[in-house]
Amino acid sequence: MTSLQSELGEEEGIAEELAESQRAISIAEFFEKNKHMLGFDSGARGLVTAVKEAVDNALDACEEAGIPPDIYVEIQEQGDYYRLIVEDNGPGITKEQIPKIFGKLLYGSRFHKREQNRGQQGIGISAAVLYSQLTSGKPAEITSRTQGGDEAQYFELIIDTDQNEPEIDVEETTTWERPHGTRIEMEMEANMRARQQLHDYIKHTAVVNPHARIELREPNDHFKYERATDQLPAETEEIRPHPHGVELGTLIKMLDATDSYSVSGFMQGEFTRVGQKTADDVIDSLKDRHYGRELSWQPPEAKKKRDYKAFLEQAVSNKGADATSQFATNVADVVSGRERVSHQDVVEIVDNVADGVEDDHDVTFGSTVRENAVDAVWGLVTGTAEAEDEDAPQEYRAADLYRMIDEATTSRKDDAGIKGLADRIAAKLVREDGHRDRFTHDELTEFVRKSAEDTEEYDDVTFGETARENVLERLWAIGRTVPDDAPDVSEIAGDRDTASELLEAMRETDIIAPPTDCLAPITDELVEAGLKKEFDADFYAASTRDASVHGGDPFIVEAGLAYGGDVEAENKATVMRFANRVPLVYQRGACATTDVVKSINWRNYGLDQPGGSGIPNGPVVIMVHVASTNVPFTSESKDAVANVPEMESEIELAIREAARDLKSYLNKRRSMQQRREKQNKLATILPEMAEKLTEVTGRDELVIDDSIARIMNNVLVERKVEDGTVKIVVENNSDTNADVDVTDIVSAEPQDTNGAQVVEMDGEWFVKWSETVSSGEEATLEYSVEGDAEFDITVDGVEEELLTVNA
Amino acid sequence: MSTDSNLNEAEAREQLLDLAADFYDQFADGDVPRMRIPTRTKTNIEYDEDEKVWVYGDRSSTRSAKTVSGAQKLLKATYTIDFLADQLDQDRSSTLRELYYLSESWDLDEAQFNSQDESNNLIEDLEIVSEVKREDFHMRPEESGAKVMGPLLLREQTRRGDREIHCQDDVGQGGYQIPNNPDTIEFLDNDADFVLAVETGGMRDRLVENGFDDDYNSIVVHLGGQPARATRRLIKRMRDELDLPVVVFADGDPWSYRIYGSVAYGSIKSAHLSEYLATPDAQYIGIRPQDIVEYDLPTDPLSDSDVNALESELEDPRFQTEFWEEQIELQLDIEKKAEQQSLAARGLDFVTDTYLPERLDEMGVL
Repeated sequence: MTSLQSELGEEEGIAEELAESQRAISIAEFFEKNKHMLGFDSGARGLVTAVKEAVDNALDACEEAGIPPDIYVEIQEQGDYYRLIVEDNGPGITKEQIPKIFGKLLYGSRFHKREQNRGQQGIGISAAVLYSQLTSGKPAEITSRTQGGDEAQYFELIIDTDQNEPEIDVEETTTWERPHGTRIEMEMEANMRARQQLHDYIKHTAVVNPHARIELREPNDHFKYERATDQLPAETEEIRPHPHGVELGTLIKMLDATDSYSVSGFMQGEFTRVGQKTADDVIDSLKDRHYGRELSWQPPEAKKKRDYKAFLEQAVSNKGADATSQFATNVADVVSGRERVSHQDVVEIVDNVADGVEDDHDVTFGSTVRENAVDAVWGLVTGTAEAEDEDAPQEYRAADLYRMIDEATTSRKDDAGIKGLADRIAAKLVREDGHRDRFTHDELTEFVRKSAEDTEEYDDVTFGETARENVLERLWAIGRTVPDDAPDVSEIAGDRDTASELLEAMRETDIIAPPTDCLAPITDELVEAGLKKEFDADFYAASTRDASVHGGDPFIVEAGLAYGGDVEAENKATVMRFANRVPLVYQRGACATTDVVKSINWRNYGLDQPGGSGIPNGPVVIMVHVASTNVPFTSESKDAVANVPEMESEIELAIREAARDLKSYLNKRRSMQQRREKQNKLATILPEMAEKLTEVTGRDELVIDDSIARIMNNVLVERKVEDGTVKIVVENNSDTNADVDVTDIVSAEPQDTNGAQVVEMDGEWFVKWSETVSSGEEATLEYSVEGDAEFDITVDGVEEELLTVNA
Repeated sequence: MSTDSNLNEAEAREQLLDLAADFYDQFADGDVPRMRIPTRTKTNIEYDEDEKVWVYGDRSSTRSAKTVSGAQKLLKATYTIDFLADQLDQDRSSTLRELYYLSESWDLDEAQFNSQDESNNLIEDLEIVSEVKREDFHMRPEESGAKVMGPLLLREQTRRGDREIHCQDDVGQGGYQIPNNPDTIEFLDNDADFVLAVETGGMRDRLVENGFDDDYNSIVVHLGGQPARATRRLIKRMRDELDLPVVVFADGDPWSYRIYGSVAYGSIKSAHLSEYLATPDAQYIGIRPQDIVEYDLPTDPLSDSDVNALESELEDPRFQTEFWEEQIELQLDIEKKAEQQSLAARGLDFVTDTYLPERLDEMGVL
């Protein structure tokens, strides 16, 4: 025993001992040990990541200040180390902020914002500083000059990893030739093995940032990417979350934090796209979930009006004969005029009529009287008034339900079965409530299910899934949202179930998509411009989708394609992935974008795809840009977009949209190629045939252009000159309309040009004529010209392959 | 079509050149050069009541320069016209096979023929469109292989002048060789009662060895498989000019019925020449499927392709007669076929002493 005691004692000792070594770790320390999570797992990669973080920051800074970015990146070899310099022309950083931005992890302005930015967590650049100090032991050197500032600030700093605080080595003012901007120099252990990724990153950045000028200087190379547009990305607005995208935990947190008392205020105040109407819809939906609905019933027919009167007169006493009679008559009229009434309807009717009678007769209908009246009417409607028949309430409801079920079930069921089901549901309604007939959707679902099962068992009539749903749907439809106030914010915040009901209500309510001014898509034109700038292809296509939502964050997907030309044709297509205008160069295989590209059947779009899946082959560049206030990355290093279904589907649609254009281009090209081949072939055969025919028949040489034009279904433009009259005939042998622009350059002044436009230039006359010629038709332009004129004709508007000019 | 008169070289040449001139005019008018030709399939042949032969119907196809292959055909046609015109000019002749090889010498690759079928077909096209017979282009087939043995005296124009030949007395065991253009033959005299066209060489030799031509005053013509145009033309002339009944003796299988068909009705490929080549009242002597049963001949089973051929013959308008439908259906029923030589199972003389006399008697020829 003693030994055991001592062991137990010792165990307590171990726990205490352990407790001594347990302490908080700073975020900086954590990342020091987990560099790979930030993309600094190797020297090769570290350099690329550092460039990426610095350039992303620089671009964000410039754009926020509305300055067209001008970014300079330099990599210098320094023995075993590399020195990285990144310079921008941004607004600069104030003296106070510099140490924190560069010397403190998780310091930033963007984490709490729902707005599209390249950086989000405030880790990137400080992580690069941390990496450099860990590998080289040297501080980062930062120079920054704010707009209008006389001098620049110069800092040398490192991160105190224990405290996650900047440690400033040098702080001084200096001069700098840039009027404003920021420059960071870091030395780090690195290598240039990931040169390809570095180039990809810079080049891809240039593609999606056509408004930026980027220069990269390496030890042995130098690249410049010029600006393709002066148009800066649209400025983004910060937005509140969208109701369709929040999770329960977030919602409860928001409920706790809000100043609003009512759900309506909370909804309108904390969410985007929620106004009074939407808030009301959400609240009604919440109430239906929270309280259930009050079922409404058909009031007994008009002939029972006298019963209403009699009952009501009984319920109202001491109000005078006139007032009593008027009250009873009016209530009876209104109720029997309604198609259906629920308990709350009855309350409302009684109140309205009572108020009217009070005004007319100067009597007071107190709450007791009103309640009695309501009970009397509700009793008549639901059967409780028939005191001698205790089955009446169930029978009344069952009769009503019978008609509903009969309508709701398509194939006419056995009568006894319908009656059985109606009876059973009615019995449950009466048993469970019996007063206001207030039930939640779940309760009703259960009643219908149980009743249907019983009916199947006892009456041998089956009500299938669809029939049950139809019955339930009608039952829910006769329910009225209760007049009670919705639970208030504190009540919801305090009860997880109610909060979940609110979340469900929010999700079920139709709410317009979040605003997109928080996003800055590149836009399809600029996607195309960016591709054109960096790839010399034959064809470009781009698409920008409308905004969608995931997790409360709106996002937009854009896709671009470049095909042919100088794009490398030997290998698989180049896939360029971007998130918030940042190129993703690592972890291609883990990215949702790659998955989607692989899943598309590119053969449908005219590309070669061995096996029918995977990255297609051929001279293609596929570009996908995901812009969101919160891009779902697979890790902190932000290399790959996570497989979020909403996003995958939008990526697919965006790519397919662009691919459709590619397909029609390829089809057209293919048919043009076939035409060209045919034309080439015929162009050798037919002249030979004509020559032989001339030889055999011994006649004059043949001109066969017209025949060829007809054979090729071409648009044939011919000139005939006779006695100073020039006739230009456009004959359309194709099967579509041709819009032809003819410009005839004449060396003498043309007369009577029949509506054609004539412009004189340096002694030459440009006769311009535009005409639409239908398939199989011809059009003629006639004009006269004196003497021997020379002509030079150009025809536009018809593709070369489809045109034969014989003039 | 001028089938009855022989065109002289100048006329033939003229008609060919007219065709070239048509192409020329189409080009000159800016039109698409084209050539219309009747469709040469069995669905497009119809019976000519007057001539009692099968000729092409109304369906036609157009070779047009609108397509690359059409343009190529027209180019080849033009080159061939040029060649034929030259040949006629120089009074030379050539064979179909020579034309095919000759095209290799044309400087333009596109104008060369890819196969002999192609050049043969083109010659047929030109025959139809120019209405000039191949023989009048001086185009010869390779060899007819066909021979005649029987009491017939004729005169043939040869390059060495006219020769008078008696087809028993002046020839060896092989018989008289039919020239490529039998219209160079003139019949002088004969002592024949009928013409017997025999499919196989073996059977012809048997008949000659047994002296059948002598004993029955028969002109024995060896068809040598599917008969050449010259053979068919000669048979027709013997029928028309000498007024001799014609019977065809072939194997008892679907391919042999087609041989009979081309003698009697004209072939599908040369239906444009049916009037000139076909002998509509030629009769089929055997081997009939009925003979297989009646004489209990040694047989082979029908192969799948035999069955297909028989079924296709049932759909062939040329075979839609009571006789053929009955015989073909019988053959499909017994699923057997027999060769001419199977008659030898009953002795070498059976065919000449028994089978043929009996059949000729039945048919009213003897």
